[in-house]
Amino acid sequence: MQRFAVLQLTGCAGCEVSLLNAEEWVDQHELVYMPLVTSAYSIPEVDLLLVTGSVQTDEDLYKLRRAVRRAKKVVAVGTCAISGGVLNLGDRDEIRELFFAEESRYHLPKLLPRCRPIDTVVSVDQYLPGCPPTPELFMALLFDPPDFKIAQTVCEECDRKKHKKMRPAHLIGFQHGTVLPDICLINQGYLCIGVSTRGGCRALCTRAGQPCVGCRGASNAFIEKGSKKWFATIQRIFSKMTDIPAHEIEAALRSPQLSLFLSQFSDYASKEPQPRLKAKVL
Amino acid sequence: MVTLTFPLSRIEGHAQVVIEVEGGKVLSARFQATEVRGFQHFVQGVPAEQMPVIVPRICGVCSTAHHLASVNALENAYGVTPPPLAVKIRELLLLGQLIQNQATSLFIFTMPDTLGVKGMFERLKDPDLERVRTSITGQALKVRKAGTHLISVAGGQFIHPVKAVVGGMTSGIAPEEVAVACAELATSLPLACDLFDSYWELLVSLKKRIDTWGDDAPAYYIAATAENQPDYGSNIIRLMDPDGIEGDHFTAHEFRDHLIYEETDYSFAGKTSYRGEVMRANSLARVNLVQRMGTPRADEYLDRFREAFGRPAHELLLYDLARGIELVYALERAMEILAEPLDKDDTAVPHTPRDGEGYGLVEAPRGPLIHHYRIENGLIAKAEFVIPTVHNVMAIERALRVAAERYITPEGVNMELEQAVGRVVRAFDPCIACATH
Repeated sequence: MQRFAVLQLTGCAGCEVSLLNAEEWVDQHELVYMPLVTSAYSIPEVDLLLVTGSVQTDEDLYKLRRAVRRAKKVVAVGTCAISGGVLNLGDRDEIRELFFAEESRYHLPKLLPRCRPIDTVVSVDQYLPGCPPTPELFMALLFDPPDFKIAQTVCEECDRKKHKKMRPAHLIGFQHGTVLPDICLINQGYLCIGVSTRGGCRALCTRAGQPCVGCRGASNAFIEKGSKKWFATIQRIFSKMTDIPAHEIEAALRSPQLSLFLSQFSDYASKEPQPRLKAKVL
Repeated sequence: MVTLTFPLSRIEGHAQVVIEVEGGKVLSARFQATEVRGFQHFVQGVPAEQMPVIVPRICGVCSTAHHLASVNALENAYGVTPPPLAVKIRELLLLGQLIQNQATSLFIFTMPDTLGVKGMFERLKDPDLERVRTSITGQALKVRKAGTHLISVAGGQFIHPVKAVVGGMTSGIAPEEVAVACAELATSLPLACDLFDSYWELLVSLKKRIDTWGDDAPAYYIAATAENQPDYGSNIIRLMDPDGIEGDHFTAHEFRDHLIYEETDYSFAGKTSYRGEVMRANSLARVNLVQRMGTPRADEYLDRFREAFGRPAHELLLYDLARGIELVYALERAMEILAEPLDKDDTAVPHTPRDGEGYGLVEAPRGPLIHHYRIENGLIAKAEFVIPTVHNVMAIERALRVAAERYITPEGVNMELEQAVGRVVRAFDPCIACATH
């Protein structure tokens, strides 16, 4: 029986909530540490350590360094652990000052100058991207079934049909209200990047009428390349399928909702532009 | 002076309790939130329409509430009223979240306190206790899943849902999805009642053992729900005074006239009071404030609860029983709504974005949640998140002090204090990710 632990750094606990929904592990794996659901105050020796959240405070740093020493295998789970996630919106300079204004509070962990992905601190054996990864992906991580195969892209898993003749001239924003069923969101003028986002999520968002924001990161074709390559491909797809001017797409790709997720495997928020290896990404 | 620090677990997020003692006298009891991200700062400059996707990331446990509060705030700013069908589907979302949350809080977070174990996933050596543990855990996860599935059906996905948009919902719910959700809720209802019955019994034995239901003083109660029966999409926040007299009520944009917010220098979370007085939000507040639950099984439990504990009920551990009543209510109420047609086309109305201020209110599982945005040039110029857990911080600290005084004497510290601290905090089911955001 595999013993595993979940270390939550600074994050939203969404990854933990998702793991609880993959409850088939309950009989077959032993969860020995996860403060959200169990009162254990230190991590014992484990086969597998799942780390969620980003390294935001000195306490996160300490906990992470201590925990990995007890683990045979370390997995970075979710956008925050992989790239810093939503917190990287807070690394803009004008915001950082506001962060430091709160540092005077006593007996509290100190904020680090920058919120960091966990692999800038410790070495990571595997990455499980998603915000959060679906319960099905957690199951795949824990059980590693030999026949489990992840779809190349979100697009492959989405039921919506592309139409050659529907060519929107402009992007229509993210909160338009009306979404036609069954028709590709790009044909409807939405900035959906499911065409080159890593699959495996069963296209939950696009099926529900929300354009893909890329939370699983780039598909294998782009993981080891810089995000520029990925962005260029997205541009190419839009110019093939729509008449939307390139600058509109460019601006929208850099808007917070997408930039949160798009740089998670390369060009991320540190000075080391070393991309992650696709072989390590689930 | 001696400082006792208690790390906390089985709550959402990172927090600890610090109690200062001198000569057997309790000097202070503090509840410290030890994480912070700073959403109110870094969403400045974000296009307003992206908020419903970004702000659910405040908390993976409460993401549905943030998603809806955010959409409400934008609708308020743009002057849009969503159609009745969308309102109904949003109620389903909140009910799904209530099922998920109350089942998790009761049967995963606090159940171990009544059984005397570390957590519901810990394997036990005693075969009898182990049988009880695995059976409760299995059932609890099933009930919880009926809630998360309901959120997925209504909101696209159960963590960080996506289907609420300004003006309504992106689509209705197809009959075949309704059928699956209904079947799950129907199987979960008897499971939930069984679990709740066992919980009630276990809590009574716990009370006998520790000789208290949580002996803190009465408080004000605050909730955004209708008077006669629960309505978590109500746009009025209501208060009840410690004697059970209904008092003040106000809308989201008037909250500053009634609630006083202060920062603390020892925690990343602030605290609010009702004009300086201690107040309480979450399950017990709602169950005190509402006349009836309005569904058969939930009302049976409510009668039993009121007969035993009166109205308003004040003892801390009763928060958990109130959670059970709400769990049963949410399962029943969701089935009522699902019996109506939900796949019509009119799920959203058109709108034109405009600059201005907007307030969005929902009754989240932990209490009234307000999002307040100021929009300039289509971008967020200011964002304010008024978080239910923050309303409970003063009540938590007062109750911690009572517990500390009970177990700390000049002779020494009774080690039951550690359990008591956990029980006090978990009664309020605080969410630290939300509180500090």
